Amino acid sequence: MRILDLALKDIKQILSDRKVAIMLVAMPLLFTAFFGLIFGGSGKSSDSRLPVGIINLDPSSSAGSTLVGLLESSQAVRPVALDGPAAEGAPEQVRDGKLAAAVTVPAGFGRTAGEGQDAELLVVVDENDTAGLTASNAIAAATVRLLGILQTARLSIAAYESSATLDAAARQDYFDQAIALASAAWKEPPLTLTVEQAGATPQKASANSYNQASPGLLVQFAIWGLIMAAGVVVSERKSGAMQRLLTTPTRPWQIIAGHATGMFLLTLAQELILLAFGQFVLGVDYLRQPIAILLVALALALWVVSLGMLIGAVSRDDSQSMIWSLMAMFVFTGLGGAWFPLEGTGKAFQTIGRLMPSHWAMQGFQNIIVRGQGLQAVWLPVGILLIYAAAFFTLAVWRFRFE
Amino acid sequence: MAWQLRSALEIAIKDLTVYSRSRFIWAMMLVAPLLIAGLIYFAFSGLGSSSGGFQVPVTRVQVANLDQPTAQSGGFSAGQMLVEFLQNDDLAGLVQVAVASDEASARSAVDTHASDVALIIPANLTTAVFALDQEAAIVLYQDPTVTIGPGVVKGLVENYLDSFSGGKIALGVVARQLSERGMAVDNTIVQNTITQYAAWIQSLLESRQAGDYPAMRIQSPPGKAVAANSLADLAGKILAGQLIFFAFYTAAATAQSIITEEEQLTLGRLFTTPTPRTTILSGKFMGVFLLVLGQVLVLTAVSSVLFRIHWGQPLSVLMAILGLVAVTTGLGLFLMSFVKNSRQAGAVFGGVLTVLGMAGGLFTAANEGMPRAFETIALLTPHGWALRAWKLSLAGADARAMLLPVAVLLVMGAVLFVGGALTFRRRLS
Repeated sequence: MRILDLALKDIKQILSDRKVAIMLVAMPLLFTAFFGLIFGGSGKSSDSRLPVGIINLDPSSSAGSTLVGLLESSQAVRPVALDGPAAEGAPEQVRDGKLAAAVTVPAGFGRTAGEGQDAELLVVVDENDTAGLTASNAIAAATVRLLGILQTARLSIAAYESSATLDAAARQDYFDQAIALASAAWKEPPLTLTVEQAGATPQKASANSYNQASPGLLVQFAIWGLIMAAGVVVSERKSGAMQRLLTTPTRPWQIIAGHATGMFLLTLAQELILLAFGQFVLGVDYLRQPIAILLVALALALWVVSLGMLIGAVSRDDSQSMIWSLMAMFVFTGLGGAWFPLEGTGKAFQTIGRLMPSHWAMQGFQNIIVRGQGLQAVWLPVGILLIYAAAFFTLAVWRFRFE
Repeated sequence: MAWQLRSALEIAIKDLTVYSRSRFIWAMMLVAPLLIAGLIYFAFSGLGSSSGGFQVPVTRVQVANLDQPTAQSGGFSAGQMLVEFLQNDDLAGLVQVAVASDEASARSAVDTHASDVALIIPANLTTAVFALDQEAAIVLYQDPTVTIGPGVVKGLVENYLDSFSGGKIALGVVARQLSERGMAVDNTIVQNTITQYAAWIQSLLESRQAGDYPAMRIQSPPGKAVAANSLADLAGKILAGQLIFFAFYTAAATAQSIITEEEQLTLGRLFTTPTPRTTILSGKFMGVFLLVLGQVLVLTAVSSVLFRIHWGQPLSVLMAILGLVAVTTGLGLFLMSFVKNSRQAGAVFGGVLTVLGMAGGLFTAANEGMPRAFETIALLTPHGWALRAWKLSLAGADARAMLLPVAVLLVMGAVLFVGGALTFRRRLS
């Protein structure tokens, strides 16, 4: 009962400040919506492929239209025909990110390349940008196919001419027919690669860009909330209230447990609000395994509380607890893959990141919402989070000072 | 006049002395922006990378090679060739290939996160390479949380398959055109077509391995030279965003000293001295200005050493610093003039500065190609103009190009400062 009283006192004290609503709830909601939107989370686009401008200055040959056809079948880019002022401003559109790349088919390209001579497409692209790099790879693949089509036409003419002759017009017709046949064949190549995603989550659900932003910011703002929760412990010690409590029948462990319970309830409430926002507003499928998600949220809250108690134990004043909370937030969320997936980071960073409890919280959430796995997929992340919680809590109790 | 200036300076120095004792201000001024930029730099550079470029992650691939070549393939196996191609030393920095005994164990490796990707090579791959009427599909089974690695593997395997598909298509076209004209497709024609296509694709693939794009001339968009160090370029943009965000934060936090002194009644006591109120406020303003100036100077200097960021031409950097310091000081004073007490000040830091920073693009500074509406909104905020100035400087803009954003920042700073000073005067009179 005393533990609950102390917990309720902490919660009342924290919630009496209006800025808490902003810091604990409004800011995480705003950040989640913002980052999801910025990184393509609206999900309303009918064609999410990167736009690539095509300026065809060689309309007399079929090279330009063949290239467009090949790019149409790409899963990474979609061709956008440009002419007039739009063609002139294509490089600027690439610079401003409106186009991932712009390809100019120069006059005479089809004839020169068709004869097997060196010919070049002009590609304006920013290869320092991920979209640009993806586009240039897709354009290169389409260009290889285009060159393959032209080579096929040359081989076909050579095969015919090994036993018969063609006049210039018939030769051109033969060549054009070969290009048409080869282009049609490349629409459905005989040897293909099909992609299957692991897990039971439908591809559309697992491609929701909020799948990173929603759990990532949930983890970040759970730690962010410690700025206030740890501060309560510090201010109670500083004001002497904690020492006074010790003169009552309340036992020291009950004081620690009371503060921890208050922090736990606040953190869990914040997590549940963010989970509900993710589910009902952002379309992140947390409810596909509600028990598993709840287990991860509980384990995360326990670890965050143990971290908060440790910060409260080692901080001498409010500003120290705020600094430690902020540093913990930056380090754990940054290293643990809450800001960005660890897959794109360096090897050393990944190794360190996988040691972070925040990484295991992300794993737990993403095993459900992205990988579409079941309850058994959260046991390991939950177990690791609980081990971290126990370790941090032991440290906190060891370092705890009542005065 | 000299007396008033000295008094203002004394107030500024007193404030600076107080700030220098605050660990919180030190943490927010210098440690937080450097920590965030450092974490991101570390994430994408990898330890031991001396090239200054990004490290592409190594993708763990499990291959289940079910390919069963027939006697007619003459000992050739397209599946085995693909495995050897992926295990080639040249690709060791991109993929780490392990051969699985069967399809189920390859898929299971992905399910248990032991592998990022599984490739299932079908039993009829070699047969489909030789038979004109047969098709085959390799399955790429991937962990949906990873995207870069599967993309790399997909590109490699598709290129490999395209070389065989191209040969099959060429043979099909040759055969069809000859047949349509009543000509026989003899073995010599088949052999010639396949051999010549294979030689041609081989030479093309070799040029690709040498890093050349076939028949493509790549140009960077105007105003975007290819960065010599793309990682430093990324770190520069990220740190510019963080530097601006925390400069606004520092200015607001230090301008809060006016509120704190008002609550502690020390400001009232100062007003009883012969020092004019304008001088006292000027001293406070000077303290904020000097602190933010110091913060920005230290951050640019330290980051250029730590992260090898080239901030731009000296005069352009100086202009960007001047504009930023002016506008942060002005906004800090303006915001604090409306705050009733230090409790409310926290909400201002947490809320107003964060929202303005978000709208100004500070948290997405490294993200190019933002929606046009977002860019327009950004320019309604001082944060957006500050970011524009710093990005221009980072891109190597000269002083002339810097004039517009810096002028806007100076005007914004002056207007906000006058507004803040007038509100404070009214409030404190």
